[in-house]
Parts: sequence; C-alpha cells; structure tokens
Amino acid sequence: MNTERWYHRYGLHAIMILLVIWSVIPFTWALQNSIKFVRDVRLNAIWGYDPTGIAYNGFWFSDDDINMWHPLLVVLAFGAVATALGMIGKRAGNEGKYFYGAVIAVLAFGVWWFPRLFETSRNYEYFVNSLVVTVLTVVISISIGLLAGYGLARYTGISGAVILIVALGFRALPRSAFVLPYFFTANRLGILDSRLVLVLALVAVNQPFTIWMLRSFFMDVPKSLEEAAMIDGASRFQAFYKVIIPIMWPGIIATALFTLLLAYNEFLFVRVLAVTNYTLPVGISAATAAEGPQIFNEIPAASVSITLPIIIVIILFQKHLVKGLGAGAVKG
Amino acid sequence: MKRKTFWGFAAPSVVVMTLLMLFPLVTTVYLSFFRVLPRNRYSLSACDDLGGSCFVGWKNYSDIFSDGEFWTAFWFTLKFVAVTVPIQTLFGLAVALLLDRVGRGRGFYMAALLTPFIVTPVVGSLLVKDLFARTGFVSKVVQILTGDPEATFLLTDGNVNWVIFLQSIWHVMPFAMISLFAGLQSLPAERMEAASIDGAGFWRSLWHVKVPHLRSIFLFITMISLMDAYRVYDSVFIFATERFADSRSLQMYTIEVATDFGRVGRGNALSVVTVLGVFVILLPFLYISYKDQLAERA
Repeated sequence: MNTERWYHRYGLHAIMILLVIWSVIPFTWALQNSIKFVRDVRLNAIWGYDPTGIAYNGFWFSDDDINMWHPLLVVLAFGAVATALGMIGKRAGNEGKYFYGAVIAVLAFGVWWFPRLFETSRNYEYFVNSLVVTVLTVVISISIGLLAGYGLARYTGISGAVILIVALGFRALPRSAFVLPYFFTANRLGILDSRLVLVLALVAVNQPFTIWMLRSFFMDVPKSLEEAAMIDGASRFQAFYKVIIPIMWPGIIATALFTLLLAYNEFLFVRVLAVTNYTLPVGISAATAAEGPQIFNEIPAASVSITLPIIIVIILFQKHLVKGLGAGAVKG
Repeated sequence: MKRKTFWGFAAPSVVVMTLLMLFPLVTTVYLSFFRVLPRNRYSLSACDDLGGSCFVGWKNYSDIFSDGEFWTAFWFTLKFVAVTVPIQTLFGLAVALLLDRVGRGRGFYMAALLTPFIVTPVVGSLLVKDLFARTGFVSKVVQILTGDPEATFLLTDGNVNWVIFLQSIWHVMPFAMISLFAGLQSLPAERMEAASIDGAGFWRSLWHVKVPHLRSIFLFITMISLMDAYRVYDSVFIFATERFADSRSLQMYTIEVATDFGRVGRGNALSVVTVLGVFVILLPFLYISYKDQLAERA
C-alpha cells in the first residue's frame, strides 16, 4: 500500500463517496421531505424551510395536534435504556443473557405502553403486526431450521442430497405458486387476516434458505466435538443442544438477520392473505393510494419510519450479516 | 449419523415444507385445469350451473397464450431479468474490487452501501419513484444544471422501464458486492503475490487469479439473482400503476388476474407457466448443485 500514489488513494475515496451518495440519496431525499410542510415540498426548497413533525404526526397518530417532541422523547428514552442495558450485558459475560432479556422486556413494554400514552393511528397497529409476525417467523424458522440443518450437515445418505435439491427448487418458486391455496385454506379455517397465517406462510417459504444457510455453518463445526460428548454418555440430541448450539451463535444470528429482513419486508403474502390486518409495507402502499396533499410528506415520513428500525438492527449486527453472506456464498 | 436419527432431526422442517409448499404447489397445478369462481369455489363439479366451478381441461392455458397482456408481462419480465442480473453482478464486482482496496473507512462505506439492500423493496421503489416526481431530486438537478426553474424530468411511457431497472440495480447490487467482497477476502495473499512477481498487471491478475477464485460465488449470486428477478413483484408493483400497465411483471399480472379479477383457475395456470419458466432457467444450476452434493458424499 505504501507504493501507492496519493492520487490513487484520494481517487479511490472519491469514487467510494460517489457510490455512497448513489446508495443513500433516495433516503436523504425522503428524510428532508418528511420534515417539511406540504407547501414546502411543493416549492421544493432545499433550505430555508420550517422543519416540522406534522408528517409523522399525520401518519402515526389519529390526534392531529400532538407536540411531536413528546413521542420522540418517549422513543428516545426507551432506546437509551435499552442501549444502556445492552452495553452492560455485553460486558457482563456469562450473565449477559439476563441483560439481553431485560432489553427485550423494556422494548416490548414500550411498544405496549406507547398507544396508551398517545392516540395512535391504524398504522401503529400495522407496525405492531410487523413486529409480532417478524419475531415469531424468526423464532420458529430458526428452531426447526437448526434441527434440519444439523441433520443435513451430518447425514451422508442420498435422501439428504434429495431434500437439499428439492429445497433449492422450492426456494426458486414464485409466491403465486402457493398463495392461492393458502388463501382458500386459511379462509376455510377462519384464520384469514390473522398474524398466524402470515407466520405460517413466511416460515414455510423461508425454510429452504434457512436450512441451506444453517447447514453451511454446521459443516464448519468439527464432528469431533459432539463425538467427544457422545463418548461421555450424552445422547445425539443432548450433544447437539449442549455442545454444538452454544458455538453456533454467529451462524444463528446471521441466518436470523436474513429471516428478519424477509419477514419484515414481505409484501405479496400480506397483500393477499391480510384483508385489514396489514403489516407496515402494505400499510404504506395502501396509504399511497389515498387522495390528498398530505401524501407529499406523509409517504416520505412513513418510509423513513419503516426503514430506521432495520438500519439500527443492521448497524448493530453488520459483521454477522457480512459473515453470513460470505458463508453462504463461499461454499455455494 | 444414522438414518433414523437424521429423519428425527429433519422431520419438523420436512413436514412444514411438505404441508405448506409441496401440497399447495400440487393444488395450484390441479386447480389450473378448473374454472374456479369465488362464489362456490369448494364445489368443483358444478358444470351444469352457469355460475359454477368445473373442470375445463387446457382451456386456462390456451386462454393465457392468446392473451396479449400475458405476452406483454412475459416480455417485460424477460427484459427485466436480462438487463438487471448482468449489470448488478458486474457492478457488484467492480465495487467489491474497490472496497477490497480501501483501508481506512471500510466499515463506514460497507454500511452505507448496504442500505439499499436492507430497505423494504416496496419502500425502496417509493423512494426512487419520488426522485422522479415533479418536486423530486432528478428534476431539481435538471433545474440547477439548465438554470430553468420550470424544468422537470418525469416518468414517461418511454423511460419507466429503465427507471424500474435502475431501481432494481440500486436495490440488489449490494448483495453481489458483499458476496464477492467476502470471496476476495478469502483469497490467499500468496496467490496475489505470486501473480505480481510474475509481472501480472491489474487486468491479468483479475482475470487469471481473482475471477477463477470467485467462480462459485458468481454461480451462487447469479442463481439467486435470476430466481429473484424472475419473480419480481414488490418493486414493480409501485411503478406499474394503471398508467404504466405495460410494465407489469409476470408475477404481478398473475396476482392481479387471480385476486383482483377473481379468475382463480387462470391465475393458477399463470403460476404454473411461471414455475415452468423458473425451472428452464434454473435446471443447469440445480444439476450442478446436485453433482456437488453427490461429490461431497462420495
């Protein structure tokens, strides 16, 4: 690197910054529109406008004159408490899991308490739906995916190969190949428009990807580990649960992140299987159909709101995400 | 691992995939031979009744192939795949090579470049579409460049497809980038050194050392991108409103026929045609993966 000329180095950074601009311009554009009054969006002024929270107020609350500093402060307060607990947990080593549990409890309480403090709109319900569906999908898919992924990594019979290839084929199928039977069955069982049907559908379409990815992580774990445990008298399942799972966390987090993105971002299933109980992506797309000038700043505000939680999650777990893509890709 | 133990571990996942993927798929194929009307969709043998649902043989299929809208959606989807997949892969490779050379600030660049990939596709499309609004970023740039405060750059029939392709490249490029970057990181340093001692320049070492090393990753991302581009729905949904109905993807047209117009049988037939298309594209990849699996077991 020392032999590089200075203009190579600065040229490289200049290109990288252009690429960063290309990546984030749609977000920054939406961000600045989301804090404007509609008339300022229409005037398209880049500076010299009065910033306002009115668009966020309109999208998230049914009460039109909330002082937007109040909900913002509540959100920030919960975020700060959760961050503090998380940081303590990171340092606490073995006891860390209690603090991580506390983080989840604090956030869950905040989500439950918020509509009791402020008059929220339907969009808040869609947000809660998004959270519930995402969390359940991640937990269920990872649980059954871990079992199958481990089995597929250790079993050498031909049926393992067949399952993997069939799963790969399923991964390629379009949603439309499943969604109509889901619709009719759910309708008959009376679970249409429920979170349950969305979770089931998402767990199913996620399985192929989950088992492939977890399997590739299990392939990296040496067999000698569980063999040693089994010689000491543990059953296969005990060895899996007590010896292998504890060292699989990086793989579990990476796979969980991809599942989380898929569930949180799902559009087609929600649009067909939910009639009124939307999750946020469909809620936002439905809001664009509304007539009226408020869509000029409310849609950007909604876009910013739905994106922020994932950006936070990704910043927290970026390393795992990159590692996960690497693991999936390098082994093909 | 013993066969019995294996099935014990694999059972929950296999049951889920059988019940919620295999069965629905078979049902979809089966129903594609019926006329299914929402009113009495559970009785498939009411042929006498004019409003009933009944077996119609290949009629749904022949209807599809003589339907102009189907062909429009089909050609749009092919164009979408043919344009976006190669560009986002090569673009991703170029950015990965740059990122590989960056020393300081790599974490920041990576996080910023990953954002389009993690954003909800529908929202990503809304954001990009907003750039092309009357009050959007693109018009603003045109106004500044031309000095004309009334100048605009809007979506038209002529450019909407290209904006859709652009949005998709923006959205998916980071996936190719980060996968290829991970691959470059696993390239042994000795091999690059050997290449430079032999006097290989940038292009020669790229072609003879880096590209062969990245072969399996190229295969992986091409396969994933083909799958995802072929069944694109969310991002196109935002653009292909009534005004731009010619920019509907196959998946979007299928859902529209099946749910919005309630022609379930025909929608299922469209799904089956789409699925067959997927397998034509993917057969070589599935074959390679199967060979790999067998080689691992040998």
